[in-house]
Amino acid sequence: MKQKIYTLLSVLMLLSMLFAACAPATAPVTDEPVASVVPSVTDEAPAATEEAPTTERHGGWLDEIVVSVVSGDSAISQIQAGAIDFFSFNLASDVYPAIQEAKLLASQSLGGYYGISLNPAVFADSAVLNPFSNRKIRESLNWLIDRNYINQEIFAGGSLPKLLPITTQLVEYTNLIDTARALESKYAFNAEKAKEVINAEMVAMGAELVDGKWQFNGKPVTLIFLIRSDGDGTRQPIGDYVSNQLESVGFTVDRQYKTASEAFPIWQGTVAAEGQWHLYTAGYGVSGLSSLRDESGNIQQSYLNTSIQSSEPFISNVSDPEFQKLGDDLAQGVYTDKEARDKAMARALELALEDSLFVWVIDQQTYAPYADNVQVTYDLATGPESTNSGPYNLRFIDQEGGTMRIGTNDLFTEPWNGVAGSNWIWDGWVLRMTTQGSSNVTGAGGMMADPYTGLAYPQRIASAQLTHVEGLPINQNLDWLTVETVPQIDVPADTWVDWDAENQRFITVGEKYPDGLTANIKSTVVYPADLFETIKWHDGSPLSAGDFVMNIIQSLDLGKPESALYDESLALSINAFLESFKGYRIVSTDPLTIEAYTDFYQRDAELNIVTLWPQDLYGLGYENPWTVLAVSNLAEANKEIAFSEDKAGVLEVEQTNWIGGPSLEVLNKYLDQAASESYIPFEATLGEYISKEEADLRYANLKAWVEAHNHYLVGTGPYYLDQVFLTEKSAVLKNFADFPDLANRWSQFSEPKRATTVLDGPGQVTVGSEAVFDAYITFKDEPYLLTDIARVKYILYDVTGTVLEVGDAVAVEDGHFQVTLSAESTAKLPTGSARLEVAVVPIPVAIPSFTSFDFVAQ
Amino acid sequence: MSAITQTPAEKQSIKKFRLNSSLIRILRYTFTRILTLFITVVIGIYLTIVIANMGGYVDVIMKGEIRDRITQLILNNKAYQQMDVETRQALIQEKIAAEEKRVGLDVPIAIRNFRYLKNALLLDLGRAINITSDSGSKQVRLILLERLPPTLLLMGTSQLFLFFFSIFIALNLSRNYGSFWDKVMIALSPSSAVPPWFYGIFLILIFASGLKILPFGGMVDAPPPVNKIDYALSVLKHLLLPGLSLIISSFFLSVYNYRTFFLIYATEDYVDMARAKGLKANDIERKYILRPTLPNIITNFALLIIGLWTGALFTETVFLWPGLGRTLFQAIGQYDTPIIVGSTIIYAYLLAMTVFILNFVYALVDPRVKIGE
Repeated sequence: MKQKIYTLLSVLMLLSMLFAACAPATAPVTDEPVASVVPSVTDEAPAATEEAPTTERHGGWLDEIVVSVVSGDSAISQIQAGAIDFFSFNLASDVYPAIQEAKLLASQSLGGYYGISLNPAVFADSAVLNPFSNRKIRESLNWLIDRNYINQEIFAGGSLPKLLPITTQLVEYTNLIDTARALESKYAFNAEKAKEVINAEMVAMGAELVDGKWQFNGKPVTLIFLIRSDGDGTRQPIGDYVSNQLESVGFTVDRQYKTASEAFPIWQGTVAAEGQWHLYTAGYGVSGLSSLRDESGNIQQSYLNTSIQSSEPFISNVSDPEFQKLGDDLAQGVYTDKEARDKAMARALELALEDSLFVWVIDQQTYAPYADNVQVTYDLATGPESTNSGPYNLRFIDQEGGTMRIGTNDLFTEPWNGVAGSNWIWDGWVLRMTTQGSSNVTGAGGMMADPYTGLAYPQRIASAQLTHVEGLPINQNLDWLTVETVPQIDVPADTWVDWDAENQRFITVGEKYPDGLTANIKSTVVYPADLFETIKWHDGSPLSAGDFVMNIIQSLDLGKPESALYDESLALSINAFLESFKGYRIVSTDPLTIEAYTDFYQRDAELNIVTLWPQDLYGLGYENPWTVLAVSNLAEANKEIAFSEDKAGVLEVEQTNWIGGPSLEVLNKYLDQAASESYIPFEATLGEYISKEEADLRYANLKAWVEAHNHYLVGTGPYYLDQVFLTEKSAVLKNFADFPDLANRWSQFSEPKRATTVLDGPGQVTVGSEAVFDAYITFKDEPYLLTDIARVKYILYDVTGTVLEVGDAVAVEDGHFQVTLSAESTAKLPTGSARLEVAVVPIPVAIPSFTSFDFVAQ
Repeated sequence: MSAITQTPAEKQSIKKFRLNSSLIRILRYTFTRILTLFITVVIGIYLTIVIANMGGYVDVIMKGEIRDRITQLILNNKAYQQMDVETRQALIQEKIAAEEKRVGLDVPIAIRNFRYLKNALLLDLGRAINITSDSGSKQVRLILLERLPPTLLLMGTSQLFLFFFSIFIALNLSRNYGSFWDKVMIALSPSSAVPPWFYGIFLILIFASGLKILPFGGMVDAPPPVNKIDYALSVLKHLLLPGLSLIISSFFLSVYNYRTFFLIYATEDYVDMARAKGLKANDIERKYILRPTLPNIITNFALLIIGLWTGALFTETVFLWPGLGRTLFQAIGQYDTPIIVGSTIIYAYLLAMTVFILNFVYALVDPRVKIGE
């Protein structure tokens, strides 16, 4: 009997464990009404720095930063337990309730977007009907899918429903706010309407509805749905929901759950007309906010057969000719001015929904949690780890110094080197702390990206001028640069435009293009006069012109077969770069003045300024002292290590790793050799910029650095890499006291100035008479300055949600705008409930603030 | 009737003949055994290679991944967006071809499989496709060697503790058959159905998240202590939870197994005979129970030792323990065939050697066993 009791007890214990494990990990989804505006955890943040805190401290605010690998699953618990202060890697929005429950703060940024990719092809087997070869059926899916439901149920209300091929509630969306809101209203969830369209089109295509199921040629119309089961786990419930909706209108759905590697070969690897799939749960990541300021390329990229993706299903899509032309023109920048561009974008958005090669679902928001005594600056698009100003502003609130413990997803995933080393986001995060900036703004270290608008500010620039040819739609937003237009830009004959690896000298425009060369853009940057005195490498060496020139050479030499460093795998990118490269010209070294020429341009003038910095030209985030490159090059030329993984594989040697492993021994050997020979790399050219004395000093400093820290990662940023533990996966960074700037240099970016808007007005409006509404806009309960508000738009909806009118509100005073609906406007309102919505577009932050007010028209 | 007598020379000759006969028998056995084990290893490794490549389907998957990765790379680079369509497509195709060549997809799968097999048998483990060692190396040998010490530490500590402690407890329980603790152990033995990583999560919740007295994961504090003693203490602190989860998940079943095993031997006729003869309980236990069980215990121990090589896939992953199990888990997820094959071939060789050696060990510890008969 006792034995039976024991057995029963043990079974009960096991069952309790299993039930506990199966219980939901986070708080249940609330029954609160659907919100179309994403919650803002930062709204709850305590006031950190409304005005720049004063300090005499140089470098970063912290004494020490310890970064280690922490599982995302335990990040919130670890912060609560005090094991870490900040988990810097973005977590999916389903953790948002848990963050709130734990009373933690969190960054909030865009984490990518999801949509349903549809197969547009008419199938080769004429006996099989593909409903999605019909544009109207594709379009109808926009009504069939309730995006708010998906947001609430799958993303815990923490993300943004996505209808358009531009990022919801970001720069482009704000720019086209009236079109965006009107389309969102037009395509609001309406299953009945979807069913009507589908019924009509399916019958027209020869299908018939038998017992509630569509049949074609006597067989059920079965849709093969490739549903991704991997990743953050959200695509599977999205796929299931969409499948349910499709089944509800009569389709038979074959749900095929697959991982990326299983689904991708079918989705893009098979000819669409073969009919191996109908729908696929697609997902895309995003890059920095700067790159999201202009999303005009998205139309071509996401819909057209000229898409940059140049694969199925894009190449099988036959688009409306007007849409095709608009998309191609927008991608190629074929428009006269901003007004024409915006008009084209607005029309393209309408046509995109009619095409619906993709039915967009969610703009995912991600969250990186941190303790309430921590201040974090983060890029609104990509989160803390990709923010250049992040390391500068990272601090404990109201405290200077201290050690901050940061957890991230992984570290040292691949070897680190400044030519072809790791560019994983978590490795880049640590690198950012050691540099003055990375790749998300043109030219990197010379400028600082505004994490809330994506615009650029000068960091190491005394003055800058942008010259562009007339007719290019380029806007100047800030006054730190001058902009001029000219009919034509001729590139001077002595501009460096290529590299002669054999003779180790630059090839000039005069030599390569004897008939002359023109460019669309000329950027002239004058660096501070004291640049080479104030900026020091972490090993104590002063920055020099040699560092700049060496990095230009390094970026070109590896692509030349005549070079001892030739790397076939890098040559592809280098040659592609050279095709559009129009040259650099060092006008002066005192002060350093560099001209850059290119045909590539961006819509914002600030982003066209090229500030060369001792970094590679292709956006890798490392800062490369010429000495470290020289030593690495010696080892590479002797085939003992190689910068790129591909070349290392071919030579069967180790990939160059500046922070550990077998590379260090090799590098140490060549550092000794270089130091003993006062070696100047590419001496035929660099001999003009580097003296033997400088070489001796620089090598001696580097050697002392390596002896002290046992690695070759030397930067100029606010923190230096003190210790690296590769197997233990942690790194220790310390404040760089010789950094020229005070810790408050970028305090203006401490936190996003997101507006809070309240709309007030009459609850009842008489049709045909004037009505006035007041919009109160605040930030932390203080009125938002008029000078900080670009515009306030209002949108008037009738009872059906149809947009009746769009207009601009009028400024009254700081934090106060007024919307006046004229008698003619209210006359359009049918009696019944109506809604007025205002969208506030602030200048300091790219995210608009929305609010609405319901009233009764009578 | 007279006895047949043998001269010393004849005796010597017979002895020599028997010795030669035994030597030949052992040599023949050794050769046959090595040959069969080698063939088994070859077949096992080839099957591993075929399975790891999913009969060639991994090529399709990897090509898809390469295409996706390179397209995204080009997609996210603004510099390529104003490039004309043809140039851009040509660039994408070139990059895809280069990447396919780098990972060896330009060689037919059948040839690659035999190349993997040959290299594996020669212990030329080659280079990983995606996974990199912490020190930045792609050499499978270095990747595995780098992860071996943490795995040996975790698995060695937990499995050796489990082994010896289980035997000790089981022996005690077998002496006290039917006691309260015996019944408790029997009742708890089904708890071993729960995998160690599951216990791991519970232990993390209790000791790291709740009581905040032990770390959530990793092998050492961040940053690691400089002092060696502090470093060792830090590792010990981090070892507790993963080690405990491995022990708890197997402990009760292991005790139950050994206890049952000892009980079976304790009820043999010759043990009853020994008891009837009045031998001391300790002598009976040592000579009549433990000794016959020795081949089984040695086998278990030997397999346990080589089993350390495989690591604990999920437990290491839950605790972010930088061991072989976690690496193998990553390798499977990333279709990194060289790592999977490298890990398997070493295990296969270790297993084959162990099986081979055990045959001789059995003969040494159990007089009833004769090699080659």
